[in-house]
Amino acid sequence: MLIVHCPVCGAEGDETDFHAAGEAHIRRPATLDPEHISDEQQRDYLFMRRNPKGLHFERWRCDRGCGKWFHAARDTATMEFKAFYLATELPPRELMEQATGEWVTFFKDKLKAAKTK
Amino acid sequence: MTSKPYRLGESFGHAIDRSRRVNFSFDGKQMPGYAGDTLASAVMANGQRVFGRSFKYHRPRGVVGLGSEEMNALVGVGEGSRHEPNLRATQVELHDGLVAVSQNRWPSLSFDIGSINNTLSRFFPGGFYYKTFMWPQKFWMSVYEPFIRRAAGLGKAPDGCDPDTYEHIHAHCDVLVVGGGVAGLAAAEAAAASGARVIICDENPQFGGWADIADGTIDGVAQSEWAQAKVQRLSEAENVHVLSRTTCVGHWQHNSLILFERVADHDPALLARGTPRHRLWKVRARQVILATGSIERPIAFANNDRPGIMLAGAARAFLTRYGVAPGSSGLVFTNNDDAYQTALALKQAGIQVRVVDSRSHVDSQLPTTARKAGIEIMAGSAIAAVESSFGGLDVTGVKVAPYRKGSGRVITETRIECDFIAMSGGFNPALHIWCHTGGKIRFDEALQSFRPDTHHDRIAAVGAANGTLALGGALNEAYAVGEAAGKAALPKSKAARPKVPKALQEVQQALESLWFSPATGKYNEGNKHFIDFQNDVTAADLELAQREGYESVEHTKRYTTFGMATDQGKTSNLNGLGVLAEATGKTIPQIGITTFRPPYTPFSFGSVAGPMTRQLFLPIRRTPIYEWHKSQAAQFEPIGQWRRAYTYPKPAEEKQASIAREILAVRNSVGLLDASTLGKIEIKGPDAAALLDRVYSNMFSTLKIGRCRYGLMMNELGFLIDDGVTVRLGEDHFLMHTTSGGADRVSAWLEEWLQTEWTDYKVFVTPVTEQWAQFAIAGPKARDVLRRLDPDFELSNEAFPHLSMKEGHLGRYPVRVFRISFSGELSYEVAVPANLGRGLWDEILTAGQDFGITVYGTEALHVLRAEKGYIVIGDETDGTVTPVDVGLDGLVSKKKSDFIGKRSLEQSFLKRTDRKQLVGLLTEDPSEVLPDGAYAVQEVKDKPPMEMIGQVTSSYFSPTLQRSIAMALIQSGRARMGETLSFPLDGKVVKAKIVDQVFYDKEGAQLNG
Amino acid sequence: MAELQYESALKGREASGLSIRLREIAERGMIDLRGFASDRKFMNAAKEILGVDLPKQPRTSNTWGEMRAFWLSTDQWLIICPRSKMAELLTALRKRLQGIHALAVDVSDMRSVLRLEGDGAREVLLKGCSLDLLSDEYSPGTVRRMRFAEIAALLHVVEEDMFDVYVFRSYAEYAWDFICATARPEAELRLFGKQDLAAS
Repeated sequence: MLIVHCPVCGAEGDETDFHAAGEAHIRRPATLDPEHISDEQQRDYLFMRRNPKGLHFERWRCDRGCGKWFHAARDTATMEFKAFYLATELPPRELMEQATGEWVTFFKDKLKAAKTK
Repeated sequence: MTSKPYRLGESFGHAIDRSRRVNFSFDGKQMPGYAGDTLASAVMANGQRVFGRSFKYHRPRGVVGLGSEEMNALVGVGEGSRHEPNLRATQVELHDGLVAVSQNRWPSLSFDIGSINNTLSRFFPGGFYYKTFMWPQKFWMSVYEPFIRRAAGLGKAPDGCDPDTYEHIHAHCDVLVVGGGVAGLAAAEAAAASGARVIICDENPQFGGWADIADGTIDGVAQSEWAQAKVQRLSEAENVHVLSRTTCVGHWQHNSLILFERVADHDPALLARGTPRHRLWKVRARQVILATGSIERPIAFANNDRPGIMLAGAARAFLTRYGVAPGSSGLVFTNNDDAYQTALALKQAGIQVRVVDSRSHVDSQLPTTARKAGIEIMAGSAIAAVESSFGGLDVTGVKVAPYRKGSGRVITETRIECDFIAMSGGFNPALHIWCHTGGKIRFDEALQSFRPDTHHDRIAAVGAANGTLALGGALNEAYAVGEAAGKAALPKSKAARPKVPKALQEVQQALESLWFSPATGKYNEGNKHFIDFQNDVTAADLELAQREGYESVEHTKRYTTFGMATDQGKTSNLNGLGVLAEATGKTIPQIGITTFRPPYTPFSFGSVAGPMTRQLFLPIRRTPIYEWHKSQAAQFEPIGQWRRAYTYPKPAEEKQASIAREILAVRNSVGLLDASTLGKIEIKGPDAAALLDRVYSNMFSTLKIGRCRYGLMMNELGFLIDDGVTVRLGEDHFLMHTTSGGADRVSAWLEEWLQTEWTDYKVFVTPVTEQWAQFAIAGPKARDVLRRLDPDFELSNEAFPHLSMKEGHLGRYPVRVFRISFSGELSYEVAVPANLGRGLWDEILTAGQDFGITVYGTEALHVLRAEKGYIVIGDETDGTVTPVDVGLDGLVSKKKSDFIGKRSLEQSFLKRTDRKQLVGLLTEDPSEVLPDGAYAVQEVKDKPPMEMIGQVTSSYFSPTLQRSIAMALIQSGRARMGETLSFPLDGKVVKAKIVDQVFYDKEGAQLNG
Repeated sequence: MAELQYESALKGREASGLSIRLREIAERGMIDLRGFASDRKFMNAAKEILGVDLPKQPRTSNTWGEMRAFWLSTDQWLIICPRSKMAELLTALRKRLQGIHALAVDVSDMRSVLRLEGDGAREVLLKGCSLDLLSDEYSPGTVRRMRFAEIAALLHVVEEDMFDVYVFRSYAEYAWDFICATARPEAELRLFGKQDLAAS
């Protein structure tokens, strides 16, 4: 049983009071440009998911609470939550830096953008 | 053997109350005992040692352990529907009238036919099952499986419905202490001192753990006295909850634990009163302290499983706690100092005893005391053989041989007479709970065992559970860890820390590992060195597995079954690893350890179910009209958690007849349906229309106020997930209807898109399903019925056309009326606040009386819609069906640049023309109704396989058309219009022609009338 | 015209023979109010009609006179009022909220309210929910949505020993049966504090 913390309303509770919805930070290509989406882009959007051992970024919903979606960073090996952050936010900087595997490429330009700001 | 006095005098047996005699029966035999006895102690006090037969070889077995580690004495307790199998006799508290039976024996304990397996054991090596039940394959069903089923499993299931109640409770605490021995009590005291909320549990009825059988004092008093005073104090504290008879069965992520409390098993009067029998505690603890103690190791010597051979600590406890002598002449076999306390206790009780110690030099304090007391110590020796009476029922003596570590053969031996053996191979910290979520462990040379290392969760182990066996060390550790845990919970607490008490205990000499005691002769000459008693796994089995290449310890475990079942490696694990290490020349850490899995000990199914049985088995949703449906003897069907009326048979009316009657009433006059379960969602905001355009495949921004439109919802894969009619209430305000099962899912889905994708949209989504009772009044006379209800709005076709909506009153009732139809007839859906639902329902029935208004159920509803070729999400779709597949291409917008699922529909594999498409079917024989799910095949053959080209999705007998109708998803169905398909069924082939799926009123004349 | 008869799911039922007092509170008006807490126009409009501020702190409520406002989310409140005043209040809110991004819906019939009263009510609730009800967090006025038994529910701590459990109407019988099963006097227990030690 995971104990989850909602960053929106601050409620803490069992995972059964929440809803886990898989990987976070997936962009929907059709929202950006519905006219030009290759089959490969659509395939990646629909099916290709990261499955790291260690730090992972997920979407959750405060299902039985305030109803809001949010993000969580979780260690898939120890099940430990490292951070909870809003659905419209990127993870805390240090977690983006700690990310491994395919997440590294994903966060690379985000970290760069954050630096130039 | 029964004539010997097994119950000792009054100076022994502090746990029993000799003034309260208790009568019980074991295997049908009436026996006396005392309050405070366990079943194990009471049966042994009656001179009986054999409690059961072993699993594979059916060897007679007696009690070995003291509590939950007991692996042999598994018994069935209780009668009839209260019978519970596989309880450990060492944990069953005696009460008057208790009925217990032994297991795995036929016909009796002392003579068992299955024990022929023992004689034939050279044919039952490790991995026997894997080797034997291999081929020929046809033997599997007829020979092997029945054999395994007969042989497998212990005990029998109760033969009736459980009459008792069970419950769950959730509890949060700052600190959970598992185990109420000296270390656990110390940790709990220290943690509670800060004011933190502490729960402490122990699986035994009494707290104290080994305090009453261990030497040494705390602050000058005996350990048990100290423990009793502490638990008394804790039970009175405001911030502590003390749970006895409560086992922590498992640890899960984020310090969630399950505790299994046996509330009433020990007292039939409580059960009779209705007290819950078991209670399952779901605990979330900020910090967990494991004070689970240690489990004594048996020693692998030849025939170490004979009744009368037990662990040294257990022998001592039977003597001290229950006043039960394990026998009249004993032998203590040990590799450590602790077992000398057993020798001393036996001596004190006047029982003859010798010590066989595998260590060559023993001169520490306890052995010295023993020597002084006149106990003979045979150092540097080991047991080479056990002699027993016929059938292995009793120990009669042992052969002792000089022992030198590493030398495998026995050369000389001495025979010693004895009738019981107390063995101790050292102590294993009880690591199970530590390891359930992956706590790390390390091998400790001094213990010759594994102990806790690091853990990613907030959990710590103290005392023997942490490998700290000495009293002083355990106390220091427990107070320090307890205090830290309390401080972590309440950092600002200013409470004084409790003083760490002073412990006084003899210093013990180190143990020497003893994994295998060589036998006289060879393995297979009747000698068995048991490692796992419960699964009948011997040292030879483990070595054989190694030789056969099962190098990984996890493979060895599965191949030999060692460490499995209820034992979960409690007594067998380390010994098995030790044997494997010696056999391979590796160290134990190199061998590795098998995985510990919850539960620590088995717990009842009743406690898992808790109160969720009978009418609470599943939540049932009832509409505001539920009571009326019941009063009409309606048959119900589950739609999700809803119970909807399926049909309303009149007295003596067949189900099929009542369904037909309801359908024809709708077609010819008027029907009334309780459609309250329909999902309803209010959607409002400047971007509401834009949101609907995104989530529906068709256009909603063009919908006029007061008008309704049927919409299709896909997921991003392009597959249909929901449908329904949405109404425009205002410029920026819509009411969406979803399928009955879909309301929660769809509103969550809308929220998800709003919150995560189109975050700039200003839209509020509020589900209101249960605010409304909703009824369909359908049929040519629907308008007449409505008119009689005194509407304050116009009903004419012009003023209130198909697919429009009115808000107003029917008489006194505030309503929304939607002119929508799922039956193909003139139809109004009337929505009224739920608490007024029943009132309006009754008025509609009265108003419709003159027109013969007939209430219809969900089956009539389904036939009516199938006659019109309307789809049902979940019948015509299965999560892989697109709008195009069901022929609703017209509802997929070509104008909108984006909506959910649009891009996926353009993928090549969804555009193929040979996908399964929805068509209608008419069977050649109009009375033949195809079963739902029947497969159409390309070509009928004598036997499968046949190429399948599609399946029936809905099939009914249509009373309107007086023939069967069906819908089906068929490969390239639309191109096959007019073709006849074959449906092979059991014993026959049904032929049906592909037709358009609209069977009735293709022009929609009824609908718009 | 005769008065309309509202019939709640449990018809105002009261239980007997339990370790706590249990009854249905019928005849309540409820309005689901949506708007952004960050939208000053919305908050002012709501205050103007209701007479008090909507609570902004998560899981809190405001009580004034016969009225209550529960915080449900950053953009959602539940207004509780006497049934007889609901229609008037809803009309006033809708009128005042015109032109503001908001939604006010009558949800009076959507939920059933079960009231648990008495010493030990917290323990009864703990047999069905996993909240830390014995902590200071659950003081009077607290509102929290939760999973109760196997359904969605909303808990309102009315007083120290008085709790309202709001469940969707269709589940009222289930929730009632569940509480009756877990509040049997034979199953009564207390957490923490003095306990009887097992008799030897």
